[in-house]
Amino acid sequence: MITATDLFFQYPQSASPILKGASFSIQPGSLTLIAGASGSGKSTLLRCFNGLVPHFTGGEIGGKLEVLGKDPIRLGPEQMAAWISLVFQEPETQFVYDQVDEEIAFALEQTGLPRSEMQARVDSACQFLGLDGLQSRRIATLSGGEKQRVAIAGALVTQPKILILDEPTSQLDPQGADEILRYILDLRQKLDLTILISEHRLERVLPYADRVAWLPGDGSVHEGPPQEILPLLEQVPPSVQIAKQLDLSPIPTRPEDFPRVQVNKSGPELTAGPNPAIFPVESLSATNLAVTLGNREILKQVSFRLGQGELLTLMGANGAGKTTLLRAVLGLVPSQGARMIMGEHIENASLNALIRQVAYLPQNPNDLLFADSVLDEMNVTLANHDLSLPPDEIQQHLARFGLSKLTAAYPRDLSVGERQRVALAAITIYDPPILFLDEPTRGLDYGSKRELVKLLKKWQKRDKSILVVTHDVEFAALLADTVLVLDQGQVAYHGAPGPLFTQSPVYQTQTAKIFPGTGWYRPADIDPAQISLSENG
Amino acid sequence: MTASLAWLAWLLASLIILLSTRNPLLLVVFLSLLLALGIRLSAPPDRKRWLGQNLRFIGTMILLSALINFIFTHTGATRLFSLPKDWFLIGGPFTLESLVYGGINGLVISSLYLTFTLLNKALSIQQLTRLIPNAFYPLTLITTISLTFFPSIQERTRQIKEAQMIRGNPMEKLTDWIPILIPLMVTSLENAIQLSESMTARGFQANKGSRKPSAGLAILILATFLVFAGWVLSLFNYPLWISWGLYLIAAVSLALLLSAQSRAIQITHLHQDRWEKTDVFATSTFTLVFLVLLGLILGQKTAFLSYSPYPALAFPTLPPAAWLLGLVPGLPILLRPHDHRD
Repeated sequence: MITATDLFFQYPQSASPILKGASFSIQPGSLTLIAGASGSGKSTLLRCFNGLVPHFTGGEIGGKLEVLGKDPIRLGPEQMAAWISLVFQEPETQFVYDQVDEEIAFALEQTGLPRSEMQARVDSACQFLGLDGLQSRRIATLSGGEKQRVAIAGALVTQPKILILDEPTSQLDPQGADEILRYILDLRQKLDLTILISEHRLERVLPYADRVAWLPGDGSVHEGPPQEILPLLEQVPPSVQIAKQLDLSPIPTRPEDFPRVQVNKSGPELTAGPNPAIFPVESLSATNLAVTLGNREILKQVSFRLGQGELLTLMGANGAGKTTLLRAVLGLVPSQGARMIMGEHIENASLNALIRQVAYLPQNPNDLLFADSVLDEMNVTLANHDLSLPPDEIQQHLARFGLSKLTAAYPRDLSVGERQRVALAAITIYDPPILFLDEPTRGLDYGSKRELVKLLKKWQKRDKSILVVTHDVEFAALLADTVLVLDQGQVAYHGAPGPLFTQSPVYQTQTAKIFPGTGWYRPADIDPAQISLSENG
Repeated sequence: MTASLAWLAWLLASLIILLSTRNPLLLVVFLSLLLALGIRLSAPPDRKRWLGQNLRFIGTMILLSALINFIFTHTGATRLFSLPKDWFLIGGPFTLESLVYGGINGLVISSLYLTFTLLNKALSIQQLTRLIPNAFYPLTLITTISLTFFPSIQERTRQIKEAQMIRGNPMEKLTDWIPILIPLMVTSLENAIQLSESMTARGFQANKGSRKPSAGLAILILATFLVFAGWVLSLFNYPLWISWGLYLIAAVSLALLLSAQSRAIQITHLHQDRWEKTDVFATSTFTLVFLVLLGLILGQKTAFLSYSPYPALAFPTLPPAAWLLGLVPGLPILLRPHDHRD
C-alpha cells in the first residue's frame, strides 16, 4: 500500500533532515498509529504520502516512496487527492464553506462530478458519520466532535483508498474522542480503508490500532505490530508503562487485555466530597454563579472554592461551560452570584485589580506571545503591571520554567511545549497567588506534559492556588487535589480525585481500569509488591 | 421565488427605478414595500427587531440628509431664515425646499441600503458567488472564504484581546493594540497557510483544464482595440453604427472568451438554483421593467417619474405608471419568497 525506501526530507533553511533513511511499509487495510514526540516528523511523514511534502512545503526530498504503486513526489497533492485523503488537526482551519453539505462536497466540486452523483456521495458520507439531518446546518453551530466528523466526511467523499488523520482527537473531550474513533473503526470495516492516525495521546488510539509506526526523532521510522514497537517507545501511555513495570510480554494495548491481576490490598475508603480541611485558607470562591448568554444558560448555580496551595482540575465535555466559568470569575462575562478572592468580594472589582491576584493562561498560548525574545515577553508583563525586577530575579524565574538557555530566542520559533512554558513564565513573572490554565496540554507530547506537571507541582509548593481546565484524564489524575466536573453548566462532581478517576465510566484512568477496587488511579500509586498475576490471565 | 437570477433581476429593476426618480410619493411606496419584504424574509422571532433597527436607520438617514442639505444648499423660494452671506459654506438663506430635497435624498439612500440588505437576506453567499463564471472560480472562492472567515477573525480578536488584558495590557493607547495585532496577523497567516494546504490536499485546481493564456490575451487586446477604435471614430463624426458595431464585436468576443474559459474549468456545484414558474415570471417581469425603463431613460422620456421641490415647493403627483413602478420591489412578497435562512 505504502512503501518507503531510504526516505529523506529536509525543510528549507533547516539545519538537519527531519526524515533520514526511513524505510518501512504500511499494510493494506491496516489502522496504523503514527507515534513520536513533538517535532519528530509525524506530520511531515503524513504529508509525504499525498505529496504535500515537498510540493507545498518546498525542501529537499530523496529516497523512494510508493503509494498505491504511484509516486506522490512526482504526481503532487492535487493528483494524489483522488486516492488519498488527509484530515488536518484543527477542523475549523480547513473549512472552505460555512454549510455542512457544501463543505463535504468541496473535493467533489473540484472534479466536476455530476451533481446527482455528488449528492449521493455526500448523503452516503453523512450516513457513515452520523451527520444525517445536519447537512444544511451552519458549521459554526456544530460541536467540536461534529465538526471533526464533517472534516472526515469531506475527506471520504472522494472514495479514497487511504485516509490520513493528523491528531483527530486533540481538541475533543474523552467522550467526543471515543465517538470519533468508533466512527473511524466502523469506516475501516465497511469501506476497506487503510487508515493512518497520528496522535500524541496514544492511549486513545492504541486500543484500535493494529500497527504502530514510531518516529524516534532521529529521522528513522520503525513500523510493526504494537507488541513489537511499544517496548521501544520511551514516552508511553499509563497502560504500557504499567505493562512494562509488570514485565508483561506481549504488551497489551488495552486495559481490558491485561492478564487478571490479584492485588493483596483492599481499596481505601474513598470520600467523594471536597475536603476544605486539607487547604484551610481560601484563595478563591464562587457561590451560585450563573451565566446566561442570549437565551442560553451557560452556567447554572455553580459553587466551588479553591484553597491556598490547592490544585483544582476543572473537567467536563466540550461546551459544558468550563472556559465560561473562568471568564465569569474574572468578570469577563456578566454573571450572577457571589465571587470572592482572598476573602473579599470581587463582584464590583475592576479587571486590573483582579489580575494582580490571578494569572490566566489561555487555550492558545500564541495569543500572548508577540515580543522579539523570551526575555522581552517577561518585561512586557512587568511593564503592564508597572513593575520591574532585577535581571537576576528574571533569570531565576526563567530557570524555574527551564528557559534559561532560551532568553534570546524568538518565542514563536520555539516548540509547542517551549512556547507553553514561555507563556506560563510570562503570566507568572509578577508572582500572582492564583493561576488559571485553560487546556494547557493541547498539542503537548508525553514529555512536555510531564514537564508541565513538574512545573505546576513546584508552583503549588510555593503555596500558589492553581485551577486547570483539561480534557486530559491522565494528566488531571497526575495533578488534581480536587476535581470539579461540569455537565451542561451544572456541577456534576466536586470532590477528591479518587472516586472520580476510579469509578466514573467516563473519567476512569487506565490504571484504575487495570486495578479495579484498589483505589489506584495513577501509575505512581502501584505497589508491585502487592501484585500477583494469575496464571490463566 | 428562490433563483439567484430572479433576485439579480429584482436588484437591477429596483436600482434603475431608484436612480431615476426623486418623487417622494413613489419613494415612500417603494420603501414601505421593501420593509414589508424584509419582514417576510426575516425569521419570525427576529421580525420586530429587524423592523425596529431599519426604521431607526431610515429615520436617522432622512434626518441627517435633510439637515446637511438644509445647512449647505441655499436655493429655493420658501426662505425660513438667513445667515450672513459671508459665513463660509453655511451663509445664505435656509429654505424649505432644500430641507425637503435633502429628506428625499435620505429616502433614496435608505432604499438603496435596504435593497442590498434584502438581496443579502434572500440569497446565501454561495448563491451569490455561484453567479460568477467558472473562469473566475479562484476569485469566487476567495470571496466566499473571506466572507466566512470574517466572523472567526472577530472571535480570534476577542480572544487575543482578552488574553492580553488579563496579562495587564490596559488597552488605552494605540500602541496597546500591537500585542493584539501581531498574534492576530500571525494566527491569520498560519490559518491561511493551513487552509491553502488543506484545499490543495483536497484537489483544488487539480482540474484547471487546458487554458491557452496567449489566445485569451490576444482576444482581450483585440477587444480593447475595437472599443478604442469605435470611440475614436465616433469623435470624428463617422456614422454611429460603425462605432456601435465595433463595440458589439468586442462584447461578443469577450463573452465567447469567458464562456470558453469557463467551460475549460470543470467545476460543478452541489447546489443549483431550482427554477420554478414564479422564478421565470419574476425574472421576465423584472428584466422587462429594467429594459423598458432603460429605454425611457435613454430616450429621455421619464418626466412622469421626475419631481423637484425647486424652485418652489409643490405637492408631488404620481401617475398610474409611476405607482406601478413603486410596487415592483414588493412583487416577491406575492411570489412567496423562500423562508428565512437563519
